[in-house]
Amino acid sequence: MTRLEGEVYVIGVGMHRISGEPVPVGDMAYEAAIAAMADAGIGFDAVGSLYNGYASAGMLTGVSLAKDLGLTGVPITHVENASATGSSAFREAVLSVAGGHCRCAMALGFDPSPRAMASGGSASRLVSSLMRPSVEGVLLPAAFFAMWAVRRMHDAGTTVDTYARIAAKNWNHARHNPFAQRRADHEVTVEEVLGSSMIAYPHTSMMAAAVGGGAACAIVADRAMAEEVERRTGSPMVRVLTSQLQSERYTEGHVFLGAVVGPPELTRSTARAAYDDAGVGPDDLDLVHVHDAFPVEELLYYELLDICGDGEGDKLVAEGATQIGGRIPFSTDGGLIGRGHPVGPTGLAQIWDVTTQLRGQAAGRQVERARTGLAHMMGAGSVCVIHILQRR
Amino acid sequence: MDGRLPVEEGYFVMPDAQRPRPRLIGSYSSQARTWFFPHRKRCPITFGPVEEVLLSDEGVLYSWTWIENVRYGTFRGSLAPHGVGQVDLPEGVRVQTRLIGGRRDWRIGMPMVLDLVPVSTDEAGNELCTYGFRARDQGEG
Repeated sequence: MTRLEGEVYVIGVGMHRISGEPVPVGDMAYEAAIAAMADAGIGFDAVGSLYNGYASAGMLTGVSLAKDLGLTGVPITHVENASATGSSAFREAVLSVAGGHCRCAMALGFDPSPRAMASGGSASRLVSSLMRPSVEGVLLPAAFFAMWAVRRMHDAGTTVDTYARIAAKNWNHARHNPFAQRRADHEVTVEEVLGSSMIAYPHTSMMAAAVGGGAACAIVADRAMAEEVERRTGSPMVRVLTSQLQSERYTEGHVFLGAVVGPPELTRSTARAAYDDAGVGPDDLDLVHVHDAFPVEELLYYELLDICGDGEGDKLVAEGATQIGGRIPFSTDGGLIGRGHPVGPTGLAQIWDVTTQLRGQAAGRQVERARTGLAHMMGAGSVCVIHILQRR
Repeated sequence: MDGRLPVEEGYFVMPDAQRPRPRLIGSYSSQARTWFFPHRKRCPITFGPVEEVLLSDEGVLYSWTWIENVRYGTFRGSLAPHGVGQVDLPEGVRVQTRLIGGRRDWRIGMPMVLDLVPVSTDEAGNELCTYGFRARDQGEG
């Protein structure tokens, strides 16, 4: 477990809308970074360290696009941890402030949409790796989570309807997120989700994470600087209570080969370390973000994050406990299913929503009296990253 | 040589006159008394040495799915729909694998046997294969 020594606060967040459009990645990253600095009321010269998170934007991209923000000599580092890239960049920024290396650090996540990669001169590594004939290349990510879903149905009697309810909830949460990739013009129903095209049994296309491009940025600072920002902007201070990252430990039935985020116990051990370090428990949480690439993940994480007991996740869904207005809302900005999963920005989009919620600024999707939020991401390979944020 | 080659070396051995089915190449850690697939450079539990072993060619289906669209979200791929499963071998190894058969052929707990799945063709016309499992009661292919 990492003990987060020193006080670190989120002082600014910014987003560029996630979409399937071929928007230049430099434009998206610039917009998100400028928005975060405007939110904090600071200039780039106040940033003491920059961590760029991207998975497919290409070598040098992070350093190169930072020139649009300014030539200040700031240390710049590229961070990549698959789906947990943005979360890992945020963690590095938090640790750099907590460790006293700088007073203020920026985490900037971005990645182009697959369409932008396919239409550009540089072919997508993602696409090519999936198409290259190899032992691992013929085992696709969608299969892994679908097998979780089938096994869960066998072990706990979970129904496909439950998966559809989770997906519909996240689609409907995304309707109130101006930066979401999927913004339905109507209340999405369980029947619509079930009726969409099958991807990998039992998951339909509306249950799958939206894959697009985008950018998200979070700026963290020490207490003194955060207090100064609070006085200037009026936004409540949001403290990072803990930052945890764990990789796999050997478990029975360990799967080594083929698009793996697991074993599921990785989430449980990381969460318990996070609760221990933060001094809060699952009952203290007001909202939660998870790696909901498919709804079976969100269902399992209810239990692995100790929000409920093992096998009780289905009941939470049936009761509507995890929708906004329920006991413990999950994926309040739409999650990977609704907001989208552009990879580099994803974990930072979570931080954007948690911060916005804790400040009481999440118009249309606000969780009432939200004080403490948890953000969880898995990165294939695999790692689990958890942050807990709390309004002071 | 029967015109079939492994799509990638080091994961399995091809069938031959003495061995009618392919066999997966794994590792065994005598210190941890644990088998792994695919092969490990050293034991991830004890950090001790491992020896290369051929694993069982039969197992039990732990979970499965049927891929209709080979990628999710925006992509639509050109690969045909196919099954994917996780098979537990008697050594305690769980193998993620292509499945051979149709979309309604699978039941958790059913016995499975190892076989080959063609995935591509090389420039010389050889069929490039990966490993896959099929239901044991489907008979030898």
